[in-house]
Amino acid sequence: MENVVTHEDWRSCFSELAPGLLLFARQWVSSRADAEDIVQEAFIRFWRRNHKIDNHPLLYATVRSIALDLIRRDSRRARREAEAVSESEQVVEPQFELADEAQFALAAALDRLPHDQREVLVMKIWNELTFAEIATALNISQNTAASRYRYALAALKRIFQPQ
Amino acid sequence: MNDFSDIENELKKLRPAQPSHGFLARIEQAMAHQRISEDKIIRLNRFRVNWIALGFGVAAAALLMVLAQVSTDRTPKQGERIAQSRAAPETRSTTADQFIPAGATQVVYNTRDEGLHFTGGSEGPMRRLRYQTHQTWQWRNRATGASLRVSYPSEEIVLIPISGQ
Repeated sequence: MENVVTHEDWRSCFSELAPGLLLFARQWVSSRADAEDIVQEAFIRFWRRNHKIDNHPLLYATVRSIALDLIRRDSRRARREAEAVSESEQVVEPQFELADEAQFALAAALDRLPHDQREVLVMKIWNELTFAEIATALNISQNTAASRYRYALAALKRIFQPQ
Repeated sequence: MNDFSDIENELKKLRPAQPSHGFLARIEQAMAHQRISEDKIIRLNRFRVNWIALGFGVAAAALLMVLAQVSTDRTPKQGERIAQSRAAPETRSTTADQFIPAGATQVVYNTRDEGLHFTGGSEGPMRRLRYQTHQTWQWRNRATGASLRVSYPSEEIVLIPISGQ
């Protein structure tokens, strides 16, 4: 079937998805510039291969794959990123536009979540993927995706609403 | 059912950081660049076909090399004999106590081109080729079965006139 998606469609699709994709990529790299490089490469690859424009799970899977490849390829970079995450004094570019102290605390709590839970949360909350789409992108079952999401929310709730 | 709605709402209030200035333009530029050079892009499936063709090519090259090696093995090394001629044995009937030639072998084990020379009396240059050979002559007495064999090295120089120069 002929692909009738126009260049303009791709542009608006990308404009809409870019912030969420960047947030997703930031899980593996601490700098915004690196995240932008990853997202750019993923998007161009996705676009060139004529995938369906609404195949979001594949787009996120591509971002994830490129980010992981980047980390594997450059061990020095991985060490640097790990140091950036572990050192609290390190200045890390914010991943959110923070309005107040509460949001700052919430964003910090988000960073402390286990990676697999945070990954699902980012895809669900800020990228609005369904559990089915998340499961496809991460190659896990829908139940696993839903469980990770619940664990993440429960952990955040414990922090902000202690019993 | 969902007792996490409050925390979900709080999370949704967090707005992801916006891309840097020029990021979207960079993507557009990359897309435009890809579009222009689309005809030049080698698609992945074409690579696969090429790999198969390359595989056949390598296999063919390997086969040729094996054949070439067999052919090379047949060429004489320096110092080995490079030609051999054997005379047909005599079949004539003979009387007793008479040795008759039973065979002659001439092995050319080295050939050297000594270049062009002007020899006395020649009108033009001559190419001088030097053949080093080893000759063996054999005689046999049919009556007694005794045989006599003589071997000796020899050297032969051949002058070939060069014409048309």
